[in-house]
Amino acid sequence: MGDIYDMFFNMDSGYLEGLVRGFKNGILNKEDYRHLTQCDTLEDLKLHLQGTGYGHFLANEPSPLTVSVIDEKLREKLVVEFEYLRNHAYKDLATFLDFIKYSYMIDNIILLITGTLHQRQLSELLPKCHPLGIFDQMETVTIANTTADLYNAILVDSPLAPFFKECISEEDLNEMNIEIIRNTLYKAYLEAFYDWCQRTGGPTADVMCEILAFEADRRSIIITINSFGTELSKEDRAKLYPRRGKLFPDGLIELSKADEYESVKRVSELYAEYRPLFDGTGNNPGDKTLEDKFFEHEVTLNVNSFMQQFQYGVFYSYVKLKEQECRNIIWIAECIAQRHRAKIDSYIPIM
Amino acid sequence: MLVFHQSYYVFPYRLLRGYIYSLQFSTANVLFKMGSLFRSEEMCLSQLYLQSEAAFTCVSELGELGLVQFRDLNPDVNAFQRKFVNEVRRCDEMERKLRFLEKEVKKDDLHIDDNGENPTAPLPREMIDLENKFEKLENELRSVNSNQEALKKNFLELTELKHILRKTQQFFEQAALYQQDHQQVEVPQYDDEAPLITSEFSQGSFNKFGFVPGVLLREKVAAFERVIWRACRGNVFLRYTEIEAELEDPHTGDKVYKCVFIVFFQGDQLKNRIKKICEGFRATLYPCPETPQERREIAIGVMTRIEDLQTVLNQTADHRRIVLSQVALNIRVWMIKARKLKAIYHTLNLFNVNIAEKCLIAECWCPVVEIDRIQFALRKGTELSGSSVPSIMQRMSTKEAPPTYNRTDKFTSGFQAIIDAFGVANYREVNPAPFTIITFPFLFAVMFGDIGHGILMFLFALFLVRKERAFMQHKLDNEIFEMMFDGRYLILLMGIFSMYTGFLYNECFSRSINIFGSAWNVNAMNYSEQTLATNEYLTLDPNVTGVFRGYPLSYPTSTGLPYFYGIDPIWQSAENKISVQNSYKMKNAVLMGFGQMVFGLVLAMYNHRNFDDKIALYCEWLPQVLFLFALIGYLCVAILYKWSAWTVRQAGTAPSLLIGLIDMYMFTDPESNGRSALYAGQYTVQKILVVVTVICIPWMLFSKPYILYKRSQQKKGYTLVVDAEDNDDTQMTSLMEAGQSDEDDVAILHHEESGHAHDVKESEKFDMSEVLIYQVIHTIEYCLSCISHTASYLRLWALSLAHSELSEVLWSMVMSIGLGTSGPAGAIMTFLLFWFFSGLTVGILLVMEGLSAFLHAIRLHWVEFQSKFYKGEGYLFTPFSFSLIVEGKVDE
Repeated sequence: MGDIYDMFFNMDSGYLEGLVRGFKNGILNKEDYRHLTQCDTLEDLKLHLQGTGYGHFLANEPSPLTVSVIDEKLREKLVVEFEYLRNHAYKDLATFLDFIKYSYMIDNIILLITGTLHQRQLSELLPKCHPLGIFDQMETVTIANTTADLYNAILVDSPLAPFFKECISEEDLNEMNIEIIRNTLYKAYLEAFYDWCQRTGGPTADVMCEILAFEADRRSIIITINSFGTELSKEDRAKLYPRRGKLFPDGLIELSKADEYESVKRVSELYAEYRPLFDGTGNNPGDKTLEDKFFEHEVTLNVNSFMQQFQYGVFYSYVKLKEQECRNIIWIAECIAQRHRAKIDSYIPIM
Repeated sequence: MLVFHQSYYVFPYRLLRGYIYSLQFSTANVLFKMGSLFRSEEMCLSQLYLQSEAAFTCVSELGELGLVQFRDLNPDVNAFQRKFVNEVRRCDEMERKLRFLEKEVKKDDLHIDDNGENPTAPLPREMIDLENKFEKLENELRSVNSNQEALKKNFLELTELKHILRKTQQFFEQAALYQQDHQQVEVPQYDDEAPLITSEFSQGSFNKFGFVPGVLLREKVAAFERVIWRACRGNVFLRYTEIEAELEDPHTGDKVYKCVFIVFFQGDQLKNRIKKICEGFRATLYPCPETPQERREIAIGVMTRIEDLQTVLNQTADHRRIVLSQVALNIRVWMIKARKLKAIYHTLNLFNVNIAEKCLIAECWCPVVEIDRIQFALRKGTELSGSSVPSIMQRMSTKEAPPTYNRTDKFTSGFQAIIDAFGVANYREVNPAPFTIITFPFLFAVMFGDIGHGILMFLFALFLVRKERAFMQHKLDNEIFEMMFDGRYLILLMGIFSMYTGFLYNECFSRSINIFGSAWNVNAMNYSEQTLATNEYLTLDPNVTGVFRGYPLSYPTSTGLPYFYGIDPIWQSAENKISVQNSYKMKNAVLMGFGQMVFGLVLAMYNHRNFDDKIALYCEWLPQVLFLFALIGYLCVAILYKWSAWTVRQAGTAPSLLIGLIDMYMFTDPESNGRSALYAGQYTVQKILVVVTVICIPWMLFSKPYILYKRSQQKKGYTLVVDAEDNDDTQMTSLMEAGQSDEDDVAILHHEESGHAHDVKESEKFDMSEVLIYQVIHTIEYCLSCISHTASYLRLWALSLAHSELSEVLWSMVMSIGLGTSGPAGAIMTFLLFWFFSGLTVGILLVMEGLSAFLHAIRLHWVEFQSKFYKGEGYLFTPFSFSLIVEGKVDE
């Protein structure tokens, strides 16, 4: 498609791209974070956030504020923005934004199934679901006992159905199974999303494939590390690796053989992108965790996606950056609320 | 059809005279408002020492006055680390409560009382009372709301149960009916209505079935049906029917539509499953007895409970209304009070706190002429607080440029807005707004000249002006309308001027009006019958005696004046109307453009003199004026001379101005090339002018950088001495001299203390290349702009032509068709076409053409006029004013 694609991009999506770039300018910068970390109470935090792009989003909340209220409002703001984008999106962009939603749907389903397994009430679980991932049949997943049930009765109508094909089995749902379902679903989802972007081509493919490849590799690495000491067999584990990342195929084969952290590290260090992420990580105080390093890399990739025009990557990146920002604010808010200031600086700055 | 030779020069003179009047009028306007609009107000930076107990009341008084702009003295301090942050927070909380109350009032559609009362800011000690009052109201309202919600929820449940009983009754009755039918007729009938239960009935096993009745949102029914079918593998039977009445959601108060459904199934396992699915879809389930008698009893019970509940609900609503009506009476005043309180504390946060002397120190910009009123307000504030120590106001000297403050009223604000949209004037720079008041509508009207369109525009603006108060009271929601409303006086003047130019062009909806009788006489041509019969076009030759008889109609002598006012209506029917008018309008455009540009240069002189910038005056302004006059001024003189000195009889031999201009720069003598000269000695005059033009360029280019360079060289010598810091007496005296020679420059900076001024002077590093590049750019820009801007004024002609042609087309293509048809058909057609015509007139000619002329007029002012003198790099004076804050025009 190439140049032709660029030419007609603004006709369908120019408005929304402009909008999302405007939204992106509202993302908090280093200075804002510095001020936030100096706050003594949540009221201070609210006062400072009023001076940023968040404006009066907390103005109608009675004091005293709690972290959960802030969390809810932050999320609500993102959802309102996203739904606006989705409602105005056209053709391919609409599909793209739906893809972003699917990952939240997967999370919600897994949350509900795990919750029911632990005998929690539905009313207790629902508020924890991400509003972006809500769909009609979602709340009925609690009736399913096996994955086949889950698929046949409920998910076959939902947009997640195509991702579910690989994990249909007659086994009962248990903790282990749910983890496998989650990862298989995610794998299918990432592969489908990656392929879709590839088909769309143009700058969208350039930007999104980079980000999604990283996402896939991150999942592979994390799955491997988390599987140590569990009953998950190596063959089963290998099936969970999303096959679209830079590790595919050689890296994944090596990973599937790994049985300790060091060997994962060895495999990853063969790749120039991932080598720095493993340097300097550890459990000593002052060291950053691997997870944080991954987040930082993700933020860099997402910020970079704004460098290119005429592509959908900015929408994905915006949602991801905003999510990271919410995590940051909540982290800082928690630190303030619990008077645990020592670790207040371990947020991940974006701009 | 008639064809004319070029006629007299009446029209352009009139137009020009109007323009000159308009300039005169605008200068009169300036004199009238000299103090306020010509330059921005003189400002000064002052320091206020406020006793901490008096600070609140003083700031409150200043807020009512709205004449000072406070500076933030703690820019490095976070918002939440400032002194009065707790008070600001309390105000926020008050505002939140008020917003909640307001929302509740609006929910009940109560009228919020607005009597225009403007309460003063409450004292800090009254704040606690207010807080308590709001707190009490909020709590009361919240408890009322939660009660109401609980009651409504109850009510909703009962209503749903009522519907379930009613609807399920139908299901059961149908089933019973079917059973009867089936027993009578042996052959099983497959009815669409209830295919699933048929077979079961026949075996009489109806009672084995369990059933679950419930209520569900209508939009979820389809998904629900599908899921339940799949999850139970088809072993259930679902019937549903819509509840016609709309129900109210107790939490949000929205209207919702729901469905009653009933699921039949067999076995307990399925029952659990179905219940779970119902829970998943947020369906509400109700117990429903199996026998009809029990159902009837419950139904009766439900009905009585609903009635009881209804009375309780009504009582709660009444109570709520009473509370809210009290709130509605006062909420506006409370809102204003809360806003004022917040604004005051916000302002106090900007101040410096001096703990030792127990006072707050503020810095503010204020207009010099208002210092008395400000001091009076401070005194009043101190008295109110009961403090014995007065507040002190002290002028400070500063290097910073003060803000620009132009006092406007409802008439001038629209015009000032046009200027500010381009850029806020530098401090004390000449403000183009007063001139714009007249030149803007005039230039607009030159492009929009039509009596009819002018009247329509005038009437529209008049309507806005007359209804001004009504419109101002209601907040206008429509942004586009608001924009027009803000510019109502501008539109009014544009309408008036369009009528004026319309009279000059003699056009009313593209038709001419013959008021005084044409000055032309066709009879004098003595055409024969045959000529009249055979020729489509006839020529009127003004050289033939009596054809141009003049005015008053003085046939047979032809010495009279041309048509009394504007263009002779006979041109309307002339074939060469456009080419004649083009020539007029084009030349007019050049003349008016030159006039406005020269006027711009005159204003530039005022600027240079005001800032005492002698270098700019003699090294830039003077050559600029000479350049413009030699280049364009000469052309204008030639235009005027040709109009007045060359008559109709010489029309054939008149020299072309365009060729003349080319000759001038090619250094060709027109007479030696066989062309006639405009006047004797033309060649010599032109040669001198070209030389002057050429000399002006290096003058503009080099003189200023050279002088600056010389000065910096001189200065360098002195600064070296300063650096050396010698105690040598002789050198000290030379230092003194340097200080004196700088006096002129010091004055520019408006400082009381010359010490600061010297600092400024010395801190400026002189960079020759930078100055030179700047000068080169500006010289090139000016020289090119003299030509390009003159050409740019030709848009006056182009748009005026476009406008008159468009209205001509509209007339001839629409209206004249209707008028040309005879008989009753013609009447109907004219009636219908009239609406079409008027719609297009308003839509295309008034709105679209008006907008385009408006934009071009703006451009002529911003670019062609203001580039001659206006810098527009200042910043606006934004006073701390309650009236702006209460109206919500200032966002903190």
